[in-house]
Parts: sequence; structure tokens; C-alpha cells
Amino acid sequence: MKNPLPVTRSELAECNGRNGKSAWVAVDGIVYDVTKLFLWKKGRHWAMHDAGGDLTEDLQSAPHGADLLKRAEIVGRLVD
Amino acid sequence: MAKVAREVVEKAGVNVDQLLELLVMNASAELTTYYYYTILRVNLIGLEGEGLKEIAETARIEDRNHFEALVPRIYELGGKLPECMKDFHDLSACPPARLPGNPSDVKGMLTVLVEAERCAVRGYTEICNLTAGKDHRTYDLALGILNEEIEHESWFSEFLGEGPSGHFMRRGETSPFVGKFLK
Repeated sequence: MKNPLPVTRSELAECNGRNGKSAWVAVDGIVYDVTKLFLWKKGRHWAMHDAGGDLTEDLQSAPHGADLLKRAEIVGRLVD
Repeated sequence: MAKVAREVVEKAGVNVDQLLELLVMNASAELTTYYYYTILRVNLIGLEGEGLKEIAETARIEDRNHFEALVPRIYELGGKLPECMKDFHDLSACPPARLPGNPSDVKGMLTVLVEAERCAVRGYTEICNLTAGKDHRTYDLALGILNEEIEHESWFSEFLGEGPSGHFMRRGETSPFVGKFLK
């Protein structure tokens, strides 16, 4: 994506994957739409991680890298 | 439920409900992979497929063993399995494996397998990280399963031309790491 749209933290928090909402997560300033990924059903990943937030720190201790996010669509960049 | 066994794990700082959710999700992944290996047995045909049957059968039995070894620990900690198979299937920790559209596509079948094994390796690594030094019994079990899942991944990765596994096939009994939980 050449010019990713700005996404605020409150807009990100809205997309928590619950009640039919999209599931978005941010990592390293990039916002990804993980709604269609099997491992993010209902906005939850492996019982420990919730959509709607910045997961940059969580990813540091995860058993995988950001490369798995290539499966998700980029929706924008996180802005404060 | 093993009341004290749960208490000591909680006291050590583990979120037991979260851990139970992970254990159930991974038990589901094992059973769905066992199903995939079962349909592989009848779909790995021809010269190429026949050569993979034996090793696929070993992995099939070992994934079933993982499921069977996980179930008692889930109940010891006060958890339970869903009341129907469909609910259980739908909460799998890994995307359920599916045969490729072309039934003679052995490479496609192996690619699905490697993805499933890699997901399992990540999942048990996470459980080991959560329980290390805190929940010795779950850690021991997850580590045993992790050892076998890593071997499965490397076997099938070798067949896909990603490099040698460094292993020989099983000789004799299956589940050398998890077997003690099945006695």
C-alpha cells in the first residue's frame, strides 16, 4: 500500500472483531485487518491476544514473527 | 479435577483458564490433523504417494496420541471438552488441514501437512513458555509433544526439498517423547 490511511488508536480499538465488527491489529505502526484469518476468529488469537490494539510488544514474545501478518491485508498506519 | 494440582499452578502465576483454553484448542488441532492423516492414507497413492505412506502413518498415530495425552491434563486442571464434535473442531488452534483439489498433488498434500505441523510447533512453544518453571506437569507434556511435532515438521519439510531432517524414521514404538503419558 503506497499511501496507507491514518488510523487512530480509538478507531483501532473499535475494530475488536466482536459483534460482527472487523478485527484489526497494529504492529510496528502498521494496521492489519485480520478478520478473515482463521487464527483470529472473533477477534481473539490463541486465547491470549485481542484485536483492536497495538500488539507490537506482544509479538516480541510470540513464537512467530511479523512475517505471518503478510497473510493479512494492510488497512493503514497507526497515528496518535 | 485435581484441586491442589490446579491451586499450585494458579499460585505459581499461571492463568489456568487461559491455559485450559489453549490446551483444548491444541487438542482439537491434534484430532483434526489425525483426521487429515487418515484421509491421506487413502489418497497417498502411486509411486510418489506410496513412499510417504509409512511416515504419514507414524505421524497420524502420534497426533492421535497427543490428543489422548492432552485430555487428562485438561480435566485435571478443571477444564472440559466441548459437548459436540463440531464445536470442538471449530475452535482448533490451527486451520484444519484440507486435501488439495487435485488428488494426485502429493506436494500439495505435504505442504498442507507442513503448515499444520508448523502451527503445532508454535502452539506448544507458547504453552511451554507459559508453563516453564510454573506448571511442571503441563510443561513436561507440552515439551514431549513439541519434540514430536518438530520431528514431524522436519520429516515433511525434507520431502518438500527444504533440506535434510537429520532424523531417521521411528523404529519400533511411536511417540518416544509422549509415550509415558499414555501408559
